[in-house]
Amino acid sequence: MMWLADNAWVAVALPALFALLVALVGRADRLVAPLLGIGSAASVLLSGIAVLLTVAEGRTPAAATIRWLPSEEGILAIGWSADGLVGSMLVVVGFVSLMVMVYSAGYMAADEGRVRYYALLSLFLAAMSLVVVSDGLLGLFIGWELMGVCSYLLIGHWTIKPAAAAAAKKAFLVTRVGDVGLLAGIVLLWSHAGALDYESLAAVIDTLSPDILTTVALLLAVGAIGKSAQFPLHIWLPDAMEGPTPVSALIHAATMVAAGVFLIARTWPIYELAPLATYVLLGIGVATALGAALVACVQTDIKRVLAFSTISQLGFMFAALGAGYWGVAMFHLVTHAAFKSLLFLAAGSVIHSSGTQDLRKMGGLRKGMQFTFEAWTFGALALAGIFPTSGFFSKDKILYIVTSENLPAGALLFLTTAITAYYVARVTVLVFFGPRNSRKKPHETGLAMSIPPLILAIPAVGLGYLAKPSIELMAAEYVGFDLPVALIATGVALLGVAIGVFLHRSGPSADIAFERRLGGVWGWIQAGYRLDSVVQKSVSRPSLGLARAAYRHIDRDLVDRAVIGVGSTANFLGERLRRLQNGDTQWYISMGFIGLIVLYSLSVSWDRIHVWLTGGG
Amino acid sequence: MNFVLVASILFGLGLYGVLSRRDVIAVLASVELMLGAATVMLVGLAGLPSLSSQGGADPGTIEATGLLLLVMAAAAAAVGLALLVAIARSTGRTRTDELTDVRDRP
Amino acid sequence: MIAEFSASSIAFWLLSAVSIGSAAVVVFTRDVMRLAISLGVFFLTVAGWYLYFTHAFLAVAQVFLYAGGVLVLVLFAIMFLRRSKAGEPILESRHSTDSVVIAVGLGFLVVMSLRDRVPIALPQQAFPTTTELADILLGPMLPHLAAVSLLLLVACVSVLVVFGGERE
Repeated sequence: MMWLADNAWVAVALPALFALLVALVGRADRLVAPLLGIGSAASVLLSGIAVLLTVAEGRTPAAATIRWLPSEEGILAIGWSADGLVGSMLVVVGFVSLMVMVYSAGYMAADEGRVRYYALLSLFLAAMSLVVVSDGLLGLFIGWELMGVCSYLLIGHWTIKPAAAAAAKKAFLVTRVGDVGLLAGIVLLWSHAGALDYESLAAVIDTLSPDILTTVALLLAVGAIGKSAQFPLHIWLPDAMEGPTPVSALIHAATMVAAGVFLIARTWPIYELAPLATYVLLGIGVATALGAALVACVQTDIKRVLAFSTISQLGFMFAALGAGYWGVAMFHLVTHAAFKSLLFLAAGSVIHSSGTQDLRKMGGLRKGMQFTFEAWTFGALALAGIFPTSGFFSKDKILYIVTSENLPAGALLFLTTAITAYYVARVTVLVFFGPRNSRKKPHETGLAMSIPPLILAIPAVGLGYLAKPSIELMAAEYVGFDLPVALIATGVALLGVAIGVFLHRSGPSADIAFERRLGGVWGWIQAGYRLDSVVQKSVSRPSLGLARAAYRHIDRDLVDRAVIGVGSTANFLGERLRRLQNGDTQWYISMGFIGLIVLYSLSVSWDRIHVWLTGGG
Repeated sequence: MNFVLVASILFGLGLYGVLSRRDVIAVLASVELMLGAATVMLVGLAGLPSLSSQGGADPGTIEATGLLLLVMAAAAAAVGLALLVAIARSTGRTRTDELTDVRDRP
Repeated sequence: MIAEFSASSIAFWLLSAVSIGSAAVVVFTRDVMRLAISLGVFFLTVAGWYLYFTHAFLAVAQVFLYAGGVLVLVLFAIMFLRRSKAGEPILESRHSTDSVVIAVGLGFLVVMSLRDRVPIALPQQAFPTTTELADILLGPMLPHLAAVSLLLLVACVSVLVVFGGERE
């Protein structure tokens, strides 16, 4: 155990090794791939537990650095280090991925791409662990990009679905925009600080000018916004739901999308000195939380509801970061990972059982899916922030710090809490209560898929009581329980739930009534404020036009002509030069002697030429 | 006016012959002209004190060097003639504008 | 300029005239026998040049090797080729300006590069005796002599191979 804590790299190496093993021998038996996947998840979880236990004992786990690329500006080093923050993140990643691996054993049992799926999930775990345990931004960036690739491949897991392929491409391109910001921030930091590991950075950060620090902080935030699906780079996450549901639970709810929050928490010393960047984080967080929650209210696809809910909850975390309490943001990350992955896994069971993702075609699934319903209820309560679940505690802290930092922002977050409770209630009612709208008889989906949501319900409910120790373990500033805020929040949430239940008690008809009354606004919200088409018009089409123009004018008119010109010039010269090669030996000798004469004249008159060239000097 | 000019004229004549004669025998004869001119130039220059810091090579050495050069040139001429005859025998061609095997496949 | 008519200068003018004349015939004649005879005359004038430079032994070697050896080979070759190409005794040239320019240019460059270094009057040198020559050839220049002898042998063998290789 101690050894594991001091060698955090194992959390990277073992999943990577297992990914390779899955790819090599995964086809040997039906159980090999899932077992290896569970092994890589367990190794990450054990690493995290070991680190946390060591930190709890008051000892800092060992770190090490490998000098990688020495250059004139400094040494690019890569290495690992571990502390309470790293340990917590590893535990979250390991625990959720363990559940997801078990769940996948049932969910993906009949899938032809199982081996690829498990190999990629293990590789993703390795990448995520690299992001977490890396001792600097360099290793973090490598893992960050690897995660992006795995996310791309897993969203497009069902390669024959055109929608999945398009969603994968979109996710890759949009997160790439953020990654460019992150890379620019890292480069800027490197050129000014001369180091990229957190320890050296913390030492030299006071010597940097505030402008540089603010720029770096904003650029890193762009990376975080892209990865964590914050406005305006959030548009990839709803489409990412085309991937298998366990992938959505692990990557697009609990871990990868939380990496942005983790990044900012890890580089917090920079943000402490860049107040402007934290204001930006607060603004983006609140706007995203409220906007995405509104969109979630009108979605008809259960996974898209959860996706917008994820965006909204990540907005809460960014708001907490913006208010200056990264420990609170991390705590919400932990609780959110538990209850949101629970909701996704339960939704996966529901989809598996009802054969549709459309909320309007579900209903009455409570009977026959008792376990799933119970698990979902715990997750939904946590998401709505109802006492005594974990979401209540973590959201209470965020509301408290944001309200005391900035009252209007806090008010907006209270509103968001009400809306959150409303859409949670709406989905729950539409799925589990009311008349059954599908002919398919609801049924439980086997042990592998029923047990993980139930296990996840334990942290989803209970984590709230571990707020103080877990935040203190991360060595972050603890925020106590605030009764007035908690009372208002609970009241608002209960109100939201009540409205949701009341409006939707008779099934999806309320949606239709709303749609009729609101008309265009409804469609506008449902399409995520039509941001996609805005992006389409403002970014995609101009760049496509630019590319076409570049093809027409630069590639064809310039490059192609130059290439063809070089070819025809060579042809022309060759045609001319061919006449020299006439087979007449005496002609060749003449050429040789002409060369001799030229060289001879040069050598005879070299002194004079030299004087002429150097201007007599 | 001295031997340098004469040897240069002889060399130039030989070169012109090599470049312009169409018959391989005549070309070879012109090569002999060039060789002769060069040897005369060498032997003549070797006796000049102004060309070396030691004030001219000693006559015996000049003579020995010239002799070796003569023998070598003669050997080359012999081989050249033999090749010429062999080419003429195998291809039946003796004119330089017919012997374009460097370009055309024989 | 009025040249001083000594024995040496008479020899110089005579040698110059004959050697250039015979060379010109070799280069320009259309008759193959005239070419062979002029080449023989040229070889003899070269021997005369060696005598002019006081190298009697070289002159003797030149006569033996060239007038006696190479010239005979040339004659053999002429006979051989004329047999295979009977009825075409006329030697053709492709007289062209570029050849003239090249030949004149190279000769001019040689003259120009040596112009300042060669005195008009040549110093008189003592005739070396054959004993001296033998001392040098068999003394310090023995390796050179051996190498040239070997080369000559190789040349003889090559000639035999080239000539005799195609016996029908």
